[in-house]
Amino acid sequence: MNTKPKRFRIFYLSLFFVILYIPVLSVILYSFNQSPSTAQWTGFTMDWYKDLFQDRVIVEAFKISILVAVSTSILSAILGTAAAIGTLNVTKRMEKTINGVMILPLLVPEVALGVSLLLFFTALKLPFGYLTLVLSHSLFCVPYVYIMVQLRLKEIDKSIIEAAKDLGAAKWQIIKTIILPLIMPSILTASLLAVAISLDDVVISTYMAGPTSTTLPVHVFSMMRVGVTPKINALCTLILVGTFVIVGFSQFISKKSNQKESI
Amino acid sequence: MQAPLLQLRTINKYYGRSHILKDISFDIMDGEFLTLLGPSGCGKTTILRCIAGLEDINSGDILLKGRSIKDLAPNKRNVNTVFQNYALFPHLNVYDNVAYGPRVKKSMSEKELRKRVADVMELVQMSGYEERMPHQLSGGQRQRIAIARALINEPDILLLDEPLGALDLKLRKYMQTELAQLQKQTKTTFVYVTHDQEEALNMSDRIVVISEGELQQMGSPREIYNTPANLFVADFIGDRNIKKVQLLEKNQEYCKVMLGRSIIDIKCSECVEGPYSTGETTILAIHMDKMRISCDEIPNSLSGEVRLIHYAGSQIRTEVDVDGEIITVVEYQRNNCDYEIGDKVSVSWEESGAVLLPMEEDAGESNA
Repeated sequence: MNTKPKRFRIFYLSLFFVILYIPVLSVILYSFNQSPSTAQWTGFTMDWYKDLFQDRVIVEAFKISILVAVSTSILSAILGTAAAIGTLNVTKRMEKTINGVMILPLLVPEVALGVSLLLFFTALKLPFGYLTLVLSHSLFCVPYVYIMVQLRLKEIDKSIIEAAKDLGAAKWQIIKTIILPLIMPSILTASLLAVAISLDDVVISTYMAGPTSTTLPVHVFSMMRVGVTPKINALCTLILVGTFVIVGFSQFISKKSNQKESI
Repeated sequence: MQAPLLQLRTINKYYGRSHILKDISFDIMDGEFLTLLGPSGCGKTTILRCIAGLEDINSGDILLKGRSIKDLAPNKRNVNTVFQNYALFPHLNVYDNVAYGPRVKKSMSEKELRKRVADVMELVQMSGYEERMPHQLSGGQRQRIAIARALINEPDILLLDEPLGALDLKLRKYMQTELAQLQKQTKTTFVYVTHDQEEALNMSDRIVVISEGELQQMGSPREIYNTPANLFVADFIGDRNIKKVQLLEKNQEYCKVMLGRSIIDIKCSECVEGPYSTGETTILAIHMDKMRISCDEIPNSLSGEVRLIHYAGSQIRTEVDVDGEIITVVEYQRNNCDYEIGDKVSVSWEESGAVLLPMEEDAGESNA
């Protein structure tokens, strides 16, 4: 091995990541800047964060976002897992069809999806707000859960399920005592992913939000019309940290479950 | 005579268009150690899975204690399986694995269960391992837990699907003895699937030989070894010289046959009955290790020339050229004479080691 190309590779990789993350870093940096302008750095302050927590609209939007995200995650975890377990007992061809239909919501452009949901919920006379947000978010979170859980299900040794049957377990007992415990790490990771996706969504939420229930990203978007204030920087920093925590946690779960059963 | 515990009646099984089991019928007696023996892909595991209920049969019937179980789900049949890869539940510790059966069937209280688990754990010599997780156990230990997990349900029949396949040779030999002992101790009927003839001959009360979905022969290890029902069994069990011979004469006791230019007598009680008529070609099968080489001419023997001597550990394999036919002799010591390559010798055999078999259509000389 020559050291020169190796050094170049390390340099290139570092440059790549620096360019990738500089914008993100600058947001964090400017959220601590005393000056409201991004033109200059005048000193360190926590004022913007203080401001943030005093803004009732933002706190309200944040609460709704969290509520929607958690509800979405629970709903899509249940639906996605049920669907994945359901495909255990169908033919290969049927499974392929189900897979296709399942993943379709991810391929439909969000703008189109938003319009159709808007029409649909209006026709149903559903009030826009919490309920429509959760339903529409679940629409594109269920596929993720379904895919992740199904991947895990495929890894389970068929003879384990046969052994349970052989030992006298009925279908529901097998699901309860064998399948669910084995796929639980995947369900948890998928739920966390659903939380992150739901928290992050702007396009669909813009259509679905009601007059009194705006999610945080939608609110940030409307704040931007007035211009980027350091308050937004502070808010974005918090969202960033929150996302990292969620992702880190899901990594932790899947790593731990991998260690546990390396038979 | 007692009624059989399990009866298989003309079972047929198809996967798509391929015919996996062809009219399989046999009985399993209470308390016996029965082995299904055959090469891989012969359908022996499928038979096991049909008994367990993990596969449906296309026609025929399975009777357990006289009652048909063919339409019962696996969890309603009182038979349990030890799977080839053990199939322990990876998320449950040893205790919970073993206790799984009684728990899902709610057949006993937790207190009673604790005692039962302790009993079976002692039976398989794994007491003290209750808290371990499956991935913390060695192959042999997992094997024992898989057996304990099945035995705790007190099944009418314990089905074992090549349970020793994944273990190394030494452990396999040891577990053979263990399993046979366990079977006698628990008086449970064992149905054991293997492709290893030595395992089958060592452990079983009776052996069912299967090839290409058809039952070839059923009998005690001794019967299977000494009097094969057909060419397949003769070739599959033990190492035999299998040669085409000409039947010259047949009377009550002996068949006179010609191999090359030698004319020899084969005792008829050891022959498989068949529609032989004189002049016909039949198959002579002689166990290699029941043959002897001597330097002097002896009656009723084959004379030939030593072609190759191969020392393989405790045994000596000698190839003798008898009129162009190669006969392999396995001896554990030099008997009568010191022969070298090129010497003229006589090859004789124990009468029980030689059988005549009817010619089959596609019977080649498989160990020429």
